[in-house]
Amino acid sequence: MHRIKLKINGKGFEHEVDSRLLLIHYLREKARLTGTHVGCDTGNCGACTIIFNGKAVKSCMILAVQANGAELTTIEGIAQNGFHPIQESFMDKFAVQCGYCTPGMIMSAHALLLENPDPNETEIREAIEGNLCMCTGYQQIVEAISHAAKKIGRSEKK
Amino acid sequence: MLKLDEILVTRNWVGKPVRRKEDIRLVKGEAAYVDDLNMDCYQAAILRSPYAHARISRIDLTKAGALKGVVAVLTGQEVARETKPISARAITRPATQYVMAADKVRYVGEPVAAVVAEDRYIAEDALDLIEVEYEPLKPVVTIEDALKPDAPLVFEEAGSNVLMHDKMQHGDIEQAYREADLTLKEKFKVHRYSSTPLEPWAIIANYERASDSFVVWSNDQQHGRSLTNVCNTLGIPIHKLRLIVPDIGGGFGIKLALWPYIVILSLLAKKVSKPVKWIQTRREHLLAGSHAPDANVEIELALKKDGRILGLRITDIQNDGSFVHTAGIYGLIKFATMVGCYGIKATRAELLSIVTNKAPTVQNRGVGKPTMIFALERMVDIAAKRLGLDPSEIRLRNFVKPDQMPHTTPSGEIYESGDYPECLRKALRLVGYEESKKKRDDGRKTGKYIGIGISSGVEPGTSNLGYYYTARGLPEYTGNAEGAIVGIDYDGNVNVILGSVDSGQGHATTTAQVVADMLGISPERVSTANTMDSLISPFLGHSGVYSNKFNDVDLGAVIMATKKVRDKMLKIASHMLGASVAELKLKDGKVCLAKNEEKSVSFREIASLAYKRILLLPEGVEPGLKEIAYYKNPIAKLPNREDFNIQLTHSNSVHVVVVEVDVETGTVNFLRYVIVHDCGNQINPGIVEGMVIGSTVHGIGASLLEEFVYNEEGQLLSTTFMDYLKPTAIGVPKFELGHMESACPYTLLGTKAVGEGGSLPSLAAIANAVEDALSPFGVKVTSLPITPEKVLRAVRETKEI
Ligand code: FES
Ligand code: FES
Repeated sequence: MHRIKLKINGKGFEHEVDSRLLLIHYLREKARLTGTHVGCDTGNCGACTIIFNGKAVKSCMILAVQANGAELTTIEGIAQNGFHPIQESFMDKFAVQCGYCTPGMIMSAHALLLENPDPNETEIREAIEGNLCMCTGYQQIVEAISHAAKKIGRSEKK
Repeated sequence: MLKLDEILVTRNWVGKPVRRKEDIRLVKGEAAYVDDLNMDCYQAAILRSPYAHARISRIDLTKAGALKGVVAVLTGQEVARETKPISARAITRPATQYVMAADKVRYVGEPVAAVVAEDRYIAEDALDLIEVEYEPLKPVVTIEDALKPDAPLVFEEAGSNVLMHDKMQHGDIEQAYREADLTLKEKFKVHRYSSTPLEPWAIIANYERASDSFVVWSNDQQHGRSLTNVCNTLGIPIHKLRLIVPDIGGGFGIKLALWPYIVILSLLAKKVSKPVKWIQTRREHLLAGSHAPDANVEIELALKKDGRILGLRITDIQNDGSFVHTAGIYGLIKFATMVGCYGIKATRAELLSIVTNKAPTVQNRGVGKPTMIFALERMVDIAAKRLGLDPSEIRLRNFVKPDQMPHTTPSGEIYESGDYPECLRKALRLVGYEESKKKRDDGRKTGKYIGIGISSGVEPGTSNLGYYYTARGLPEYTGNAEGAIVGIDYDGNVNVILGSVDSGQGHATTTAQVVADMLGISPERVSTANTMDSLISPFLGHSGVYSNKFNDVDLGAVIMATKKVRDKMLKIASHMLGASVAELKLKDGKVCLAKNEEKSVSFREIASLAYKRILLLPEGVEPGLKEIAYYKNPIAKLPNREDFNIQLTHSNSVHVVVVEVDVETGTVNFLRYVIVHDCGNQINPGIVEGMVIGSTVHGIGASLLEEFVYNEEGQLLSTTFMDYLKPTAIGVPKFELGHMESACPYTLLGTKAVGEGGSLPSLAAIANAVEDALSPFGVKVTSLPITPEKVLRAVRETKEI
């Protein structure tokens, strides 16, 4: 057992964890943040994507102990009140069907837009290549991310 | 049937891309899938067979049971003692299979034991401590293996590996062959794949000792039937099981077959004093969470020289793996629309369901129709080439014409509406057919291998249940129906409880659009329960999300229940306003006099009479404002081998694909992807577009990437998303869509199926495009998936994919 201390969505967490506990299970079961999902546990689907010290990572590929001292953002934390522009755009563009991939997609999109505020279609597609969506065929997700980038760009210019 | 004008009092919402009500929770990460429910649970893990075919000679759970943190164990022998075998539907030979293997395993991944522990890590540790001795038997993997005269038997009691063998003939097939100028025959092979919903199967079961009953939470997409299946298998009456279905993370048919695991979880829950949770891992899902069967299809066309198809014969052999509940169903569904969009008058189908030591199969998106359309549309291309016709021309010559609608196919299927020729022409216009051909021809001169593929398809919806009993006598279910409860609350807002569930289709939104236009309010005032609870929801045996029935019977039930509520509100309002019902109209959440809108009562005022000041209600009107209705499709015929409509609505589409094949690497790249589809009247075009594109991407995966590969021992080699490759945002094209709306005369809103559409013609469209691209090499495409390796081999040696 190890004691870990970390920040998730700006809030402090402290727990005793088993060394083999995956970060995704820590988030879902110990921190009770169930917006981050498990679609494969082999690092291939991206449903578990979160932001770890500023970078998008797959939380099923990381042990909870490795997050000791880290700052994480999960889907629950990207807009404390109301909706983040990416979330708004996902709704406007019908980018959600069953919603299971959605939090991971939004986190990957969020990481992309932090680094590249004005991505073209190829860059968007590349940024979400590690996120599988079994429902939408991606087109409306790509449109949503592009729409969100424009929205954020506009509001920053103002 | 009610007319559209009698149903909708406004046209503000139906037909508009109204933002989805579901998304508010989903984008915030506030959904409640089974694994998200905040319950104190034990966790189960399942030990699965490492052999495809073996006898279990010894199983010992002593060590596993003794591990700290383990609270219960279960073996197949115990399951066989405590439960009934899995019920079969379509097969005609006896085959006894339990939800867990007792003395013999029949596929790699079959459950042989289960463990319940404090957490999933301990449960999985315990699996390693279970001792099992197997006596391996020779596995039966392929269709060819299974049909050998000396093949080992998967089910000894069946006496054969062919569990269903049916022959059907419709129309005068002999005459068609007599009149034909030529016949063309080809064999096609379609592999195993699956739509692999992103959320795997998930179950929590709780046993309530005092009442000796179970509460189960599961992402089951066909709860109406599962309730019966689970209760029959457990040998309990239906009131002993309460089934709750929260949010579902995708289904595509794959979650129609998880009920055997509800049986396992129920048995486990009975042994412990807390709920037991089991969340399938992705490996378990790919290994044993059901596939679409692989199939060999032989198809023969009887043709006139001008390209007209007079007759069609198929011999369809399905490798249904080992799951007696679904075995045989695919062939029966696919034969229903075997003529595709064509006016073919005579058919013969020979259908075989083969049992092998492969994983279970279930009704994956499209259920066999992708395979059928693949074979038919490939064959039509082969015929066009042979007759020197353009692939578009041969299709136009054979399509059912709009003035022939409604059209009854030889077997009794009723194509209700549609303009198939215009659908194709529109797609050709969108793609710029002539320019595309020129580009292709110019490309060939410079070593670019571009090909154009066309495919058309009928997309049936609303299954007329009971079709799988055509060879077995009286069906347990017939027709199709759904239930709904619609109520107005104290404040005059609307609550809907559907009998069905949603696995991503936006049912709450479409329901709200329809109800809003029926009551003259905004969809914001309509909320729909996002949980199915068998204690409360108006379900029936047909309930569930499958066969694209929502637009037909689910909305039918919503409409009928809303109409009852509306009629009652009008009656109360007429009393309150002192006017006859005929003088009233609904507007902005009020009932008012048509001639004098000032004179009105709000829904809230009406509700206050219905719920509170009940002594002011008119004579003979019951208190309350909540109504239940069940609605059944009106044209379903009883099962009859001569004249039977297996599906009750028929959408149609044309896909035109332009690809470039890189003959150095074997990869297929999309240059264009055009889809023109017709699903009747659309309720929410934003949702429809997503369904069309999403299901087409399933077809792309099936055509180019995905395959459950088994070796000769029956071991599955593709058990992660590293080797079972799904389409990603990079490999898929940008789709160009065209819509047509031929209203369906037999559904209340003129709607038809949408959801499976894209996954049906895409396989053939892509294969036709690849064959066209590789025509300089003389390559023929007769199998899927079209992997780079197969392309290279075909170009260099075999000339066949
Ligand atoms: S669950 Fe982490 S990548 Fe799939
Ligand atoms: S919306 Fe269902 S997996 Fe993406």
